[in-house]
Parts: sequence; structure tokens; C-alpha cells
Amino acid sequence: MSVATDLIQEINVEVGNGLLTMRVQKLGVGPDLVYLHPAGGLMIDPYVMSLSERFTVYAPYFPGCVPGDPYAIHKVDSLWDAVMLYQELFTKLGLQEPIAIGQSFGGMLAAEIASVFPGIFSKVVLLDPIGLWNENYPVANWIATPPPKLPELLFHDPTCAGAVAMFTFPDDLDLTVEIAAGLTWALGCTGKFVWPIPDNGLDKRLFRNTSPTLVVYGDNDKLSSPRYADDFIQHLPNAEKAIIPNCGHIPQVEQPEALAKVVDVFLAGK
Amino acid sequence: MKITYFAQAAYRQFPDDFEKKYESCVSTPYSLTTPDNVYSSFRDFMDELMLAARSGYDGVGVTEHAQSSYDMVPNPSLIASTLAYMTELEGLDVAIYPLGRSLGKSREPVRVAEEYAMVDVMSGGRLIAGFPVGLSYDASMNNGVPPINVRGRFDENLDLVLRSWSDPEPFPWNGKHSQHQSVNIWPRPLQQPRPPVYVTGIGNPRTMEMTLDRNFGFNYFGWFGYKMTGQRIFDRFWSAAEQRGLDRNPYRLAFMQIIAVAETDEQARRDYAEHIEYFFRKAIGSIPNEKLGLPGGIDINGVRALVRDPSDFGFKDKMLAATFDELVDAGCVIAGSPETVREQLADFCKSAGVGNLLAMLNFGSLPRELTMKNIRLFAEEVAPYLRDVWKDSGHQHHWWPERLGGVPLPNVTATKTGAA
Repeated sequence: MSVATDLIQEINVEVGNGLLTMRVQKLGVGPDLVYLHPAGGLMIDPYVMSLSERFTVYAPYFPGCVPGDPYAIHKVDSLWDAVMLYQELFTKLGLQEPIAIGQSFGGMLAAEIASVFPGIFSKVVLLDPIGLWNENYPVANWIATPPPKLPELLFHDPTCAGAVAMFTFPDDLDLTVEIAAGLTWALGCTGKFVWPIPDNGLDKRLFRNTSPTLVVYGDNDKLSSPRYADDFIQHLPNAEKAIIPNCGHIPQVEQPEALAKVVDVFLAGK
Repeated sequence: MKITYFAQAAYRQFPDDFEKKYESCVSTPYSLTTPDNVYSSFRDFMDELMLAARSGYDGVGVTEHAQSSYDMVPNPSLIASTLAYMTELEGLDVAIYPLGRSLGKSREPVRVAEEYAMVDVMSGGRLIAGFPVGLSYDASMNNGVPPINVRGRFDENLDLVLRSWSDPEPFPWNGKHSQHQSVNIWPRPLQQPRPPVYVTGIGNPRTMEMTLDRNFGFNYFGWFGYKMTGQRIFDRFWSAAEQRGLDRNPYRLAFMQIIAVAETDEQARRDYAEHIEYFFRKAIGSIPNEKLGLPGGIDINGVRALVRDPSDFGFKDKMLAATFDELVDAGCVIAGSPETVREQLADFCKSAGVGNLLAMLNFGSLPRELTMKNIRLFAEEVAPYLRDVWKDSGHQHHWWPERLGGVPLPNVTATKTGAA
């Protein structure tokens, strides 16, 4: 979208005792908020822009997803490496108990960080997070899904404007090449820690996260069933859920107004 | 020219509409099979391999595919070990060439080193060791290796395997992908410091460069249509060799091609057309593209190159409804009378600089009798015309077992890093 990109500041932070440099996009004014992107990489979409009207948003790229630095992923061997790098990043950014919002893979990551470092976030919002596994409603393998079938997997209504926009490539070949390669590589980078099953034992750690947590799912999330909302709630000591009607896996694109409403209420509460 | 008979153990009795309903790997319902048909696939496959060994082929080659209906060989070491003993028993001087084990897939690389070492010993030093990086679906979907880790696992496992073959002392191994307190395998290969190694690739420049840098052979499959892809792939290989100051020794290069020989061109069509169509529609064509390149499994620069120009996949996207004539035109198959076939093969191998031909002579639903006819006709009427293609080139074959006439590379030495 045609947001004023000069409002976005890029910050590079060396982490892991020189292991790699993480990049963060910073925008907005207000209390600190970290936004953890989904498996397909970081996009400052209208929802993130709207957050920046009330918060100072820090949106880190997952290692390997930074444009021009794809092989950083090979320096991160495990999910625990990643969790520790993020905690170090937040410390070096000087963030004091920021709010965390994570989408899908980013939701899992936020939940992991919040579980390993209890109290690191003042509040946590998990948007259709992955990270738990139930054989009765297994999480779909989005990484192995052929691209033409992704809209159907990700959206309640694959013909909605947000879905169409997400899967419409520009006419310019060079740009298309970069977008397609970046998206594919981002799925590979994030997939490193959730393949072949997105379950790293998070259910055994979630209880440690005592921060108020909101678990949001679209009522028709075909990638990760909304029944996982109850599974998260069951393990989290201080959590509530919100189910967004007529919505698939990405509420911020498919039902941004309904999402904003429940998140606003949650963040405004004590 | 060294000529290897190449075969797969395919299920051959799928219904006509198979490709409209199913994929040929990972998800293919086993309920489509009968025990008798599975048994006959294997019995014929083994008998045909032995016929080739007895018919004067220089080598016999098989591949690794798990959860695959078009090649029911999850572990080619089992086939290779049987062939090793059978051919030793019959005094057949033929190379035993398993083109896999895939080292990007393997979670037990020491086991791979042990199995290959056993085959080399059982065959009296006739093993050619194939190490593909790994098919995306096989390494990642069948064996749970995250796609982005496949290449790194391959690199590390290869170092471990080569070192385990040649390091005279037990050594600890502290890898990212496997750890061993002490590696000291028994037996070790008869061929020291290692048997000839080939890596099969589909055109990724990095794989080609690695094979050249480490003095392996490079093997390319012509399934995507050699007339569409072969020249560009082999030009890429030789240009990488030139950049490294390496000679254009054709024995560095192996080429696997489906070949169908009959008495006349017309007879070849009558004998083989339906079985070739079966192969391309129900086997290769029914592997979905996304299962060949899961996200992370192809380097980001490779993805850029493929989005920009998907030509390396050649005829792949048209295979599901391909006709015999189209497949011949694309070069997915070379079919016809002995004269037709040998001329095309000789022309291509000469122009591309290919010194090792892998002749895939069983394919799709081809029944036992026709496969055997193809094996015999090729051996008698085609192979003799190809053997001497490089005779006067002055090149020595450094990628073939010494017992079978290969000349070991002078600079292949055992090292602590295993990089030989």
C-alpha cells in the first residue's frame, strides 16, 4: 500500500554475540508494541499501520527473511536459539514490557517467548497461532500446499478483496521474481522450526506465561482449527479467547474491523 | 562410453484414469495395488537387472524413492547388495551403481556408509556410490527433514560418509545433524580411499560446482526432455568446469535417458507407446511440482532463476496428457529402430560431452517380455555403436571402479576432513 514509507524506520541490531544482525521496522508513536510476522514474512499491512496510530510498533524480520540476508537462517539452529535471539533483541531495543501481537507462526513465536521469559510482555495477542497439535484437528501443512490452493486454505472467502490483493502479483517481472522468491524463502526459513509438525512442546510451557493473553481465531480457519483457541486457553493461566465470524486464518486481512474491535477492548482492559 | 542399465520398480497396473485422481507419491492409496502385482513388479525388476548384467552392460543402476508408486525402492542398498552377490557368483564384471542414498534425506549417514561399504566388499570392489542431495518430497515429506535443512544435511553427511570410509583411526563426530562418540565402521570399502562417487542433479549450478570441486561425477536425468533441457544443463556444467580450469573429460558426466528399441521405428511405437505414456502420465507427470521444490528446499537464488525462467523443468508441465509423439519430440524418450536410436544417442552424447549413459529400458507399465526385448536389442544393436564414442579422445575414466577398468584419480586422498 502507498503508506508514507518515510514514517518507517529500519533498525539493525547485532545479536548472538556477533552471530547475526536482526532487522526491525519501527513505526508510530505511543506505548511499545512488538509485532511478530507470520510464516510468509513481514508485511506492514493496513492493520499494522493502524496499530502504529496508537503504538510504537517494532516489527522484527525473522532471521533469513531480511531482504539481502537470506542465509542468516543457517545460523539459527533451533527454536530455542530463535527465542533467545528475540529476547536479546527486545532488550537491546530498550523495550520495557511491550505488548506483543503475533500472527500464525508469529503467534507461536510470541507464545514461546512469553513462556520462556514470563513477564517479558505486558499483554499478548495471538492471532490464529500455530504451535499446538491435536490429532482430531491437525494443523494443515501450509508449506507443502501448492500456491494456487493457498487462498482457499487461508481465507474464509478467497474472493474477498484482501485475499485477492494478497495473491495478485505486479506486472513487473523483476518485482514478481523478488516477491515470489522472498515469500517462498520466508516459508522455508520459518518452516525450519515447525516442520513436519508445528509442535515443539509448547503445551508444556504455556502455563509459565502469566501475562494477560488474548487468543483470537477466525471461526473458519482452515489452516489451524479455531478449536485450538480452547487448547491455548486451557494451558494459559490468564487468557481469554475471541472468535471472529466469517473469517479464516488471517483476521487482520479478512476482518480487520472486527479484529480491531476485540483487540482494542482487550488492550484497554486492566 | 560406459553404459549402465537403469531400472525402477514401478507399480504397473494402475487404472486408466489414475492421473486424474491421484498423485504418484506420498499420498497414493496403497489400496490400488494387489499383492500379486507388487510381487511381480519386484520379481521382474530383479530378473531384468540380472539379464542386463548378463548381457554385457557395464553397470546396473537403481534409485531411492520412498512412498513412491513409480519406484517402490525405499532403500536401493538392498537391491544393490543382492546384485553384488549374484553378479559375483556368476563372475559378471559389472558395476553396481545405486544412484541414491540421498544424503539430504538420511538421518543415519553412518548406516549409509556401512551399507555401501558392505556392497563394495560383497561385489569385490565394483560399487559406484551415488549420493543425490535428495528429492524434496522424499527428504522432507517422507523423512521429516525441514526443506531448508536438506542441503546442509547433505553437505555434512557427505563429509561424514567419506571420512568414515577412509580415516584409519576412529573419530568422534560433532555435527549439526548427527553426533557420534566414535566412528569406526566395519567393513570399509575395498576401493580406497573411496569408490567413485556420482551426484545426480537437475541443474542447480551449486550442485554442479560441488561435484566438480570434489571430483565427483555428475549425473543428469533426461526425463524432462533432453531436447528441451539437456544442452542448457550440460553447457552449464562444462562452463563451470572451464571456470575451474578442469578438462572436458566426458567421463565426468552421466546422462540417464529412457530408450525404447524395436526392430523398426513403427514396431517401437507399437511395442512401447502406451507404456511410455503410462510412465510420463502416471509416474513422473503425477508428481506435483510443489513436491519437487518445497519452500526452503531450493536456494533463494534458485527460486529467482526458476520464477524468471522455468525452462529447466522442460516438458514437465505437459506430461499429464502427453502423447508418445510429443514425448519423442521433447526428447523425453528416444525410441525407434536400432539405427534411429544409436544415431540420436551418439549425436547427443558427443555434442554434450557425455561419457556415461544410463539407459532406462524398463518404464511405466512395460511388461517383462518387452523389457527383456528392449534390454537385449539395446545390448546387441545399440551399445556396440556407442562404446567407442570417446575411445580416441585421450581421456581416462577416473569415475569408474578400478577393477572394471577405471583409473583412480591421482589426487584423491584420504583426509581428516573427508573432503576427497
